[in-house]
Amino acid sequence: MILRCQLAFFVSLFAANLAWAGHSFENTAIVRTVELGGASVHVTTAFAVKALEPKSSVYTIALSKNEHQKTSWLEVRQKGQQAVLPLQPVLLDAANDAYIYKVEFSKPLAMNESVNLILDTVQTHATFPWPEQAGQTDDQALKYETDLYVLSPYKTAVQRTKVRALSPRILSYTTPEGIEFTTENPVTKSGATVTYGPYHNIPESSSAEFVTKHQKHVTVHYNHDFPLAEITTLKRAAEISHWGANLNIQDEIVLHNAGPTLKGHFSRLQFQSSTFYNRASPTVLNWFTLHLPAGIKNVYYYDQIGNVSTSRLRAAPSVPKSLSGNSNQYSIMEVRPRYPLLGGWNYTFTLGWDAPLSDSTSFDSKTGKYIVGVPVMTVMPDAVVDDAEVKIILPEGATDIEFFPPFPAKNNTISTHISYLDTVGRPALTFHYEHLTDKHNGIIYVTYKVPFSAHLRKPLAVATGLIGLFVLSMGWRRVDVRLDTKQKL
Amino acid sequence: MLAYSLPSDISPSTYVNAASLVRIVALGLISAAAISSRLFAVINFESIIHEFDPWFNYRATKVLASEGFYEFWNWFDPTAWYPLGRVVGGTIYPGLMATSGVIYNLLHALNLPVDIRNICVLLAPGFSALTAWATYMFTKEMKDESAGLLAAAFIGIVPGYISRSVAGSYDNEAIAIFLLMFTFFAWIKALKTGSALFGTVAALFYFYMVAAWGGYAFITNMIPLHAFVLLLMGRYTSRLYVAYCSWYAIGTLSSMQVPFVGFQPVRTSEHMAALGIFGLLQIVAFAQLIRSHVSSKQFQDLLFVSVISAAGLGMAAMVLLTYKGWIAPWTGRFYSLWDTGYAKKYIPIIASVSEHQPTAWPSFFMDLHMLTFLFPFGVLALFRQLRDEHVFVIIYAVMGTYFAGVMVRLMLTLTPCVCVASAVGLSQLIDTFVDPREPDVEQEKEGGDAAPSKQAAKKEKNAAPITGVGAIDDIVSTLSGASSPEKDKSGKTKAGIFGLDTRMVVLFNTAAMLLFFVLHCTWVTSNAYSSPSVVLASTNPDGSQHIIDDFREAYYWLRMNTKEDAVVMSWWDYGYQIAGMADRVTLVDNNTWNNSTRLTAGCAAHIATVGKAMSSPEEIAYPILRKHDVNYVLVIFGGLIGYSGDDINKFLWMVRIAQGVWPDEIQEPNYFTPQGEYRVDDQASKAMRESLMYKMSYYRFAELFGGGQVMDRVRQQQLPKQSPTLDYLDEAFTSENWIVRIYQVKKEDSLGRDLKSANGFAQGKKRKRSKPPVKRRALA
Repeated sequence: MILRCQLAFFVSLFAANLAWAGHSFENTAIVRTVELGGASVHVTTAFAVKALEPKSSVYTIALSKNEHQKTSWLEVRQKGQQAVLPLQPVLLDAANDAYIYKVEFSKPLAMNESVNLILDTVQTHATFPWPEQAGQTDDQALKYETDLYVLSPYKTAVQRTKVRALSPRILSYTTPEGIEFTTENPVTKSGATVTYGPYHNIPESSSAEFVTKHQKHVTVHYNHDFPLAEITTLKRAAEISHWGANLNIQDEIVLHNAGPTLKGHFSRLQFQSSTFYNRASPTVLNWFTLHLPAGIKNVYYYDQIGNVSTSRLRAAPSVPKSLSGNSNQYSIMEVRPRYPLLGGWNYTFTLGWDAPLSDSTSFDSKTGKYIVGVPVMTVMPDAVVDDAEVKIILPEGATDIEFFPPFPAKNNTISTHISYLDTVGRPALTFHYEHLTDKHNGIIYVTYKVPFSAHLRKPLAVATGLIGLFVLSMGWRRVDVRLDTKQKL
Repeated sequence: MLAYSLPSDISPSTYVNAASLVRIVALGLISAAAISSRLFAVINFESIIHEFDPWFNYRATKVLASEGFYEFWNWFDPTAWYPLGRVVGGTIYPGLMATSGVIYNLLHALNLPVDIRNICVLLAPGFSALTAWATYMFTKEMKDESAGLLAAAFIGIVPGYISRSVAGSYDNEAIAIFLLMFTFFAWIKALKTGSALFGTVAALFYFYMVAAWGGYAFITNMIPLHAFVLLLMGRYTSRLYVAYCSWYAIGTLSSMQVPFVGFQPVRTSEHMAALGIFGLLQIVAFAQLIRSHVSSKQFQDLLFVSVISAAGLGMAAMVLLTYKGWIAPWTGRFYSLWDTGYAKKYIPIIASVSEHQPTAWPSFFMDLHMLTFLFPFGVLALFRQLRDEHVFVIIYAVMGTYFAGVMVRLMLTLTPCVCVASAVGLSQLIDTFVDPREPDVEQEKEGGDAAPSKQAAKKEKNAAPITGVGAIDDIVSTLSGASSPEKDKSGKTKAGIFGLDTRMVVLFNTAAMLLFFVLHCTWVTSNAYSSPSVVLASTNPDGSQHIIDDFREAYYWLRMNTKEDAVVMSWWDYGYQIAGMADRVTLVDNNTWNNSTRLTAGCAAHIATVGKAMSSPEEIAYPILRKHDVNYVLVIFGGLIGYSGDDINKFLWMVRIAQGVWPDEIQEPNYFTPQGEYRVDDQASKAMRESLMYKMSYYRFAELFGGGQVMDRVRQQQLPKQSPTLDYLDEAFTSENWIVRIYQVKKEDSLGRDLKSANGFAQGKKRKRSKPPVKRRALA
């Protein structure tokens, strides 16, 4: 798993004469499948690899600069295996303008042995609405642009690209011309799928020479029937309280409808009649569903001017930890913004809840440490989070803090958070992420120790304050502050 | 002889301690009841700021909390009264915001990060507990602790006060009533003890009151009036002198530190009474001094000459100063207190506010319940002793009753006085009937059976005083019957209360009345005074509550989806809400009537401009809108769901206010049908149908009914099937129940046509040439 921004650090202007992996492999076939969606696009590339040298263990995958920028999640595995193959830090091949990912096989391949590699990526902001403006009841059409050829530093025998939309209403697609690698039709469409290829005998395609000579852009213009939700910023704060045995999670969300911006004006009449006839417009984001954890209580949903009463919650009871492997239990929250979100409109809200601490914490008696798991985000289906900040607030006096994020954060900091009746403040961990998709619903684990004295700090502070007050009032009652003691008032 | 036995083995110190404990517990419980009965709004709805003005106070408090006091002091708000802006620091009473700011900073210093909104919402209930305590202290000075507790309980739950202090009603009155009562308490205390310390305390609380509420003028006139009446009654004492002078000197100097008040205490007529009494007291004190040094004959001559000449000089100076313009004459709001028709004739803006209407009788009962009739009884009871402080309550009762009858909102200032007087009366009644002592009656021994003789005695008691002097004596003697039986020894018949049953009947009756009072207060509070008015509630068919949240929906839409500097025009009622919730620039807001004469002239013209735009046809309104850079126009329309507080119902006020400035262009009668009815259906007058307000309210409304009967549910009138059309505005947003409708003002046509013909062209209509071109005719 790799997050592109974090890795920008590793991307240095590596020597232009970077040694290629050589010609130790050959791709017998490359099939790239693009699952068109709204804000995120799922791209799966299957490489059928044949080793040309014995003991070849490092395979190189190349992504063009453009593609690398869009990709926010990437994973490589061998076909039929669950384990994810380890990736070496990404490198920029400046000469060829491509990013190099090196994959290590679990065991080196023998001569002529072949293996199937699956490269899973999720691209964000890869589509854009076209036309850029649409009326309230108009259809929503998106465009997706990609390169025709998959880059690879190896020769490829057969390559094809399938672009699959959700509905068969594909408005247009590019027909590439002057393709050398095929004699047949360079592109075919059947149903909701547009297939480019097969193209045969492609040379090493990641070289600058090939790219300038052969690479082409293809565009698919398709209808998308679901609104394009985009979370511009997500601020999550998770506060752990051992006194209340409570984990409070609060999300502050800025929501944006990234679909075509509204042409003309919003008409309530039209909206109400289309709701009445149950013809929801594809550009209108009226409500969405969130899967919150089981066992939550005190759910609140408000925005800057108060409570939003238009939402429904079906809370599921808490699941005993022994059964927590069965994670099908969710509280389902139907969130409805104050007003329907038309194309280009924004909405901000805060959603929070309390959960029993025992559902997400355990105590390791060997090390005397608590382990708490906080999910990075609550997945909103088919939405992209552009900028996320996850803050985990540990109990006051927590020490020996270690954390294990599911994927590296862009940056993380430890600060002090002061809340109700704190004396020294609570340690808070902040993780910064960018471009999260539904693949990023990992859990951040934090371990920490809380000494017994830290638990007592709060009641002691309150007791001291109160005793101070009583002592003061005792003294006040017993001191005569009158100037003239003879005169009785 | 006792009606029931009392334990005799209790030491006095035990008694004192127990009584003090009971008092503390009772005050605690009263505070709890006062706070919790104000929380209906939070429980039924949410922790939200109510109504209109509180939204401004809340917004100002947020500035204070986030930017600090000096920033707040110098705050110039460019978003209000566009394009004039508003110097907020100099045009408000900052006491309320400062109080919340202090509480906010204090809690945060104690690491209690309470949200500023919750502080604002809960400030009024918190201060109501303090008011109960201040009322207790005040009434204690009138009678005793038990009357104080009763008064505290009354003020804690009486609807007349709750109406302005429910949770979320974050207005100046929220803290002002506490300050009022505490200032009065300190004044009474200073008067009783002649203590300059309490005079200073009164002055400091007076300063706080000046900083908090425009109604401080009530104190400014009540205390001098009290002092004056005491002088007239010949009750001048050095205590009065010390109390009044310390209060006046320190209070006036400190009140002038509030920028919004400034030099008013020495420049306006409202404050002259206090100054005059101050002068008068000096003269009287001087006279007293002279009297102690010269003989009485000389003194009388001297007094006569000097008092007459001093008073004459003073009056002449006042008149001269007023004439020269050094002292501002009485303001219109003052006149409207004496002539209820004044405002309607001369200042329609003031008259258009519903809470400036005269009070209807039912609202007295609704706000005070049984206190309405306990109140005169209590005032009567105060006449018995008529100590200096009793005079104060009596004057307060007279003035308060008058003002409450003139204006609905002044019910609030009457309420504390009603509570105090009623508590004094009721506690007298209870004292009388709880007192176990029975009058020594010789006749009782004659009768063999106890019960009939008791009845006989009671009859005699009732009968005897009627033959006496009068009704007042009747009550007074009834009251004094038990407490001072010795005095009546000389009398032939004994007045008094005999036996337990009489006592039980009266006490039971009283308890039942108190119980009904509590029930009434709870009912009124929960039903009438706990609606935030920003959020409306209705009931679903299954009985569950359905929240109608159109205002916030539209305001939040404005906040999120329009440019940050967009100018929104609406009727002034919604100015503060738009500024607070939508955070957008407004043309007019609620700052018209509760603020100074300084602003009113400019504001009235501004409001009249908005009124004119709303009541003119589109072609006339459009240049006005463009001239004021208006981007959006917001109207409230209740016709779909029957929300009666909408703009069409307020429309006549807009017309009247516009008429005040442009009598040639806008005339109220044009908006009525020839029969003089206010109609919106197909009989509506031409001016009505063409007005911008009408068009914006009903734009595309008929289409909602799909060809069926188009019904306006507020006015119960059937509208024409053809909705009005708009050429110069675009519908930008309409809330779920159509309560808030927002229109965007179109830019001028890029081809230089007027928008009406441009619209017609876009719809493919042929342009009508009513007149042949002038040139051709000239050629012919």
